[in-house]
Amino acid sequence: MDNILEVSGLNKRYGDFALKDISFYLPDGCITGFVGINGAGKTTTLRSILGLTNKVSGNIKFFGMDMDGNESKIKDRIGIVLDEGCFYDELTLLEMKNVIAPAYRNWCEQDYIDYMEQFSLNPKQKINTLSKGMRMKYALALALSHKAELLIMDEPTSGLDPLVRSQLLNILKDYMGKGGKGVFFSTHITSDLEKIADMLIMIDGGEIVFQEEKDQLLDNYRIIKGSTEKLNTDTRKYFLNIEESAFGFTGITKQGSDVMEHMQDALTERPTIEDIMLANVERRKKDVN
Amino acid sequence: MLISLVKKEFLIVKKYVGIMLIVSFLIPPVMLWRMPEAAGAMGFTLTVIFSIFMLTQYVSLKEYQYPKATTLLCALPYPRKMIVLSKYCFCLIIYAVCCLVFGIDTIIFPKLGTFDIRMAAIAFLVITIPLSFYFPALYKLGYEKTKFVFVIIIMASPVLFAFLFKPENAVRFSFLDSISTTTIAILSIIIGLVTFSISAILSIRFFEKSDLT
Repeated sequence: MDNILEVSGLNKRYGDFALKDISFYLPDGCITGFVGINGAGKTTTLRSILGLTNKVSGNIKFFGMDMDGNESKIKDRIGIVLDEGCFYDELTLLEMKNVIAPAYRNWCEQDYIDYMEQFSLNPKQKINTLSKGMRMKYALALALSHKAELLIMDEPTSGLDPLVRSQLLNILKDYMGKGGKGVFFSTHITSDLEKIADMLIMIDGGEIVFQEEKDQLLDNYRIIKGSTEKLNTDTRKYFLNIEESAFGFTGITKQGSDVMEHMQDALTERPTIEDIMLANVERRKKDVN
Repeated sequence: MLISLVKKEFLIVKKYVGIMLIVSFLIPPVMLWRMPEAAGAMGFTLTVIFSIFMLTQYVSLKEYQYPKATTLLCALPYPRKMIVLSKYCFCLIIYAVCCLVFGIDTIIFPKLGTFDIRMAAIAFLVITIPLSFYFPALYKLGYEKTKFVFVIIIMASPVLFAFLFKPENAVRFSFLDSISTTTIAILSIIIGLVTFSISAILSIRFFEKSDLT
């Protein structure tokens, strides 16, 4: 499988915050979720790979081409959905489209019209009259109407109600079905990724924590519930984090079978992506302290 | 690409374009009524300064209100260079429209005198010099800090022009009468274009190095 995006050794400093030696890749044909808590570096990473920030070191390759020297060519093949507020609110949808469409060599007006109809958007409506969900759909209509091979989205589901989020996920599935080579989207709402992602990349404190296929990742981790009596210095080492109460403990581990050897009567559960993300964040905090 | 970006500048200030068109039409006849001795050249130059700075300032204000819109434009295949150049083209178009409007004014109000190439060229030089400082400052320092420059220019220009056009000060410009109209026009346009070009290069450099939010 070819990679449609390869990032290696990406560094970027913003005051006290820094992206540290970020490396990851997006395989062809995958929906990749980019997860992390607020302030983890998701948006900074996306902006850096899109050339929106300065003084970035590292290598960024899209479709096998170096970003330096091929920026326009690469961006012509990417659909972009940034977080909220990236339009001039006083323009109509048609006017904003007329600003964006000429940037793309492969703009397909018919695709745009089809998306506008599918999303029930009126071109004469002003952007400031659209709801959050409608804005997201409009942003998608613009991002998908130039035969984009890769769709990059920054927190697209943030602030959307469950119905719109579900519609958005269906649109992404359709896009992949129609020949899209990949979707890369950052989010802290991990439940969306449970439904749709093939690959997950986690960032925390400006560092990549893991990149794994979703199913593999969910298989690797286990939630263990048991009696606190079984916890000792040796067994605690197996856990990323442990929550203790009067009734027992709940912990997340990557070494489920090792834990079960020591705690035969403990219960195991499959974790969610959110459980894994939060456990990693807490573990990293402890390691720092 | 450049045309679309210039269109975008007009679109985001579309509410004010009509108003500025009316204002630019009215400034020369109003000056003819209040200060007939300086209505022609001064009226035209003031029209150019007001129209360009007011509309440019509105564009900057809108971009300040929607900073992520600029980020989105830069995430598209538009080169940052084009985004900067569109602002300079926007000003040149407003200047051209001001020439046209003043030309119509001189037909309707013959007392304004004739609109000649020298007047147009000097006004071009007068507007390109402050703009050549304004744009790089805008890209380097941002809207908040540069809006004071704009306020100073708008407030000071009528006072400065009134001073320059007083008969006792006119003698200082009398040396211009010994130079042919064509030479003055050509020199003004060349100096204006060179200054504008250097300014554009600086603005592009500053914008290409900036981190977008």
